[in-house]
Amino acid sequence: MTSAPTSRPTTNIPVAIPAGAPSGAPAPGTGPRTIAGSIPGARSIASRLLHGTPGRMRLYMALGVVAAIVLGAVSANALLSSQAAVERAANNTAQVVRAQSIHVDLLRADAVATNAFLIGGLETPESRTRYQDAMSRVATGVAEAAAAQPADGAALGALSQQVQTYAALVEQARTNNRLGLPVGAQYLTQASAGLRADAIPIIDAVVAANEQRARDEFDRSNSSLQLAVGLLALIGIVAIAVWLARRTHRYLNGRLTGAIVLLLVALVFTLVQVAGVGSATRAVADGDFGQTVTLAEATTSANDARANESLTLIRRGSGQANEKSWQADDTAVRAALAEVTDSSPLTSQWSDYATVHAEVRQLDDNGQWDKAVAMSTDPSMKGSDGTFTAFDTAVTQARDAAGKAAVERLDGLARTAPIAALAVALAALLAAWLVVRGIGQRIEEYR
Amino acid sequence: MSTRHAGTAISTDRAKRPPLARPRHRARLRLAGVLAALCVSALGACSSVTYEPTALPTKVTPKPSPSTSGTPAPACSNATQSYDPLGSIPTRSEISDAKVNKILKRGYLIVGVSADTYLFGARDPFTSQITGFDIDMAKAVATSLFGSPKLQPRVITAAERFPLLQDGSLDMVARNMTMTCDRWTKIGFSAEYYRAGQKVLISKSLLKTNKDAASWGLADLTGKRVCAPTGTTSLTKLQSVEGPIPVTASNHTGCLVLLQQGKVDAITGDDIVLAGLAAQDPNTLITSAKAITVEPYGLGFNKDDVYLIRYVNRALADLVADGQWKAIYNRWLAERIGPAPAPPTPVYGR
Repeated sequence: MTSAPTSRPTTNIPVAIPAGAPSGAPAPGTGPRTIAGSIPGARSIASRLLHGTPGRMRLYMALGVVAAIVLGAVSANALLSSQAAVERAANNTAQVVRAQSIHVDLLRADAVATNAFLIGGLETPESRTRYQDAMSRVATGVAEAAAAQPADGAALGALSQQVQTYAALVEQARTNNRLGLPVGAQYLTQASAGLRADAIPIIDAVVAANEQRARDEFDRSNSSLQLAVGLLALIGIVAIAVWLARRTHRYLNGRLTGAIVLLLVALVFTLVQVAGVGSATRAVADGDFGQTVTLAEATTSANDARANESLTLIRRGSGQANEKSWQADDTAVRAALAEVTDSSPLTSQWSDYATVHAEVRQLDDNGQWDKAVAMSTDPSMKGSDGTFTAFDTAVTQARDAAGKAAVERLDGLARTAPIAALAVALAALLAAWLVVRGIGQRIEEYR
Repeated sequence: MSTRHAGTAISTDRAKRPPLARPRHRARLRLAGVLAALCVSALGACSSVTYEPTALPTKVTPKPSPSTSGTPAPACSNATQSYDPLGSIPTRSEISDAKVNKILKRGYLIVGVSADTYLFGARDPFTSQITGFDIDMAKAVATSLFGSPKLQPRVITAAERFPLLQDGSLDMVARNMTMTCDRWTKIGFSAEYYRAGQKVLISKSLLKTNKDAASWGLADLTGKRVCAPTGTTSLTKLQSVEGPIPVTASNHTGCLVLLQQGKVDAITGDDIVLAGLAAQDPNTLITSAKAITVEPYGLGFNKDDVYLIRYVNRALADLVADGQWKAIYNRWLAERIGPAPAPPTPVYGR
C-alpha cells in the first residue's frame, strides 16, 4: 500500500484525471505533468480510457463521485442556509424588538413631558428623570439598531434627526415655561405633533420592514426543496450500482453499497434536521415572537393613550380629537392583550387605568377641570398616573421577557448546524472515495 | 510543486513531510477535511442575504404653507352696533328666555377662549390657569349670572369660533374677536368692549439690513414672509396688501414660534396681541407705523341668543359704570401700553 506505482497498473493512474481530486493524486515518481505536455496525448488517452466496458465503468465512476459530492454539497448547504436563515431571523427579531422599544420610549417621554406640563409650574425631579431616561434609551437604541442592520441605516438616520428636533422643541418648551411665557405651550404642542407626524411613521416603517424580514427568514429556514437534487443524485448512484451489478454479474459490491447507505443516511439526517429547525422556528414565530410583537403593540398604544389623556386636558375642552385617539388606543390595547397568553393580570391592570380615565373625563366634561387634572396626575393607585405606570411596567416586563425568549430560542436552534453540515460533507466525501474504490475494484477485476 | 493539477495542496504537503507509516491515508483524510471545510464555507457564503434599505415614509407637505386668496370684508357702517341692553340685571324668576335658563340650570358658563394670547387669554405656566383681560370679562359676565365666576373655559382656535357658536357648543366667545359686518351674518356680538388696531411686529434681524424697518407698515414688507393666524381679520388684511408673502399658523403664538425658528420675518395682528408676543421675545419689535385698521372687540354669541346678548350688554355697561372695566384694563395692560383710556362707546339699536 505504501508504494502506489507498483501495486497498481500504470493505466490506473490517469483515471484520476476525469474523476477529480480524491483518488487522483499523482504518485511521486510519475514525474511532473504539464498541460503542454499532456495536450497532444490527451485526446487519445481520453478515447482509450472511455473505450469499451472498462471505459464505461470509468465514466460511471466519475459520475458517481460527482453525484456523491453534489449530494453532500446540497445537504450541507441546506443545513447551513437554514442555520443562516434562523440566525438572520433572530437578528431581525431582535431588531423589531429594538425598534419597538424606541417607539415606546419616545411615546413614554412624550407622555411624561405633556403630563409634567399639565401640572403647571416646575416639573418634579422624578418626572424630569423619567423623561431623560426614556430619551437616553432612545438615543442608545437608535445607535444600536443602526449598527445591527445596515439596511435600516438611512431610516434610522432620518429618525435620529426627528428625535433631535423633538428633544430641542421640548427643551424650548421647558425654557419658556420656566420663564412663565405661553409660547412654551406652543413649542410642546409642536413637539408632540411633530413626533407623531414625522418620527413615529419612520419607526413604524422600520418595525414593518424588520418584521417582514424576520417572517421571510422564518419561511426560508424550512425550505427543503434543494434536497430533491440530493435525492436525484442518490438515485443516480443506485442506478450506477445496478448497472455495474448487471454488467459484472457480481451483485454485492461492499464499498459501493456502503457509499449508498452512507449517502442515504446523510440525506435523511439532513431532511430531519432541516424539517426540525423549520418547525421549531415556526413555533417561535407563532409563539414568543408573535407575543413580543403583540405585547409591544399593547405597550405603544397604551403610552399613546396616556399622552392623549394629558393632551385632552391641556387643550381644555377642545381635545375631542385626542379623546378619540384615546378610545382608538384603548381598543388597540385590549385587542392586543386578547391575543396574548396569560394576559388576564395585564388586562385587569389596564381596566384599572381605563376606569380612572373614564372618571377623569367625566370630571372634565362636567366643568371640574382642576379635579380632573389632579386625578390624572395622581401617582397613587387612585389616579391615572399610578394605575398607568403599574400597567406600563408590567406590560414592558412581559414584552422584554418574550422578546428575549424568542431571540434565545432562535440562537439555540442555529448552534448545531455547522457541525451537522461538516459531518454530512465528510460523509459525502467518504462516500465518493468508496465509489472510486468500489468501481475501481470492478475495473481491475475486468482486466 | 511544479504540478498544476488538482491536489496541489497534497503534493506540496507530501514534499515537505518525510514519508510516514501511512501517509496516503493521512493525506486523504487531510484532503477530505480541507475540501469539506472549503465546501461548507463556500456554501455558507453563497447563502448570505442582503436586504433592501428600509423605505422612508413619504413626507406630507411641510408647514408653514403660504396661503393665497382672501375675501375682502363687505363694507358696512354698523359693525359695532349691537342690541339694546336690558334695563337692569333681571332676577332669576324674571328670566323667561330658554337659553339663559339652560345656562343657569347648568350652573356654569361655557366660554370659548384663547390659551396663548398673552395678556388677553393665556395659560399661566405656574398655575396652569387661563388668565387675561378676556378671561376677566368672561368672569364678570359669569359673576353677573351666577353670583360667582362659574365658567368653564374651553380653549379654541380662531377658526373654531364660528362653528362652535353656531352648533351651540359654546355659550359665549371671549377671544379678542373683531366685530365685522361679515361676522354679524354668522353670529351675534355684544357691544364693543375693547378697541384694538392692526400693527406689525418684526424680527429685530430685519434692522441689520434696513434701519428704516422699525417704522415699516405691512406694505413696506415687500418679499418678506409675514405670519397671521388662519380665520382672522388680520390675515384677510394681510392678503389684501401687495408685497408681503402671507404665511399662516393656527394661532399668534404659532406665528411667534415660526418667527423664532426663522421661518417668517414678521407677524401682523392686533396691537395688544403683538404686545403680548413682544413681551415674550426681546428680539422682536412692534413697528412705529400707525395701525392700519380699527379692530373693535366684541364678545361672540350664537346669532339667535338675542336675549343673552342684551343681558351681557347690560352687564358690560354696568362694568364700565362701576369702574371695573378700568380696573381690569389696568391689571393686564397698563404695564405694557399705559393706563386705561376711556372705554369704547357702545353702539346699540340693532
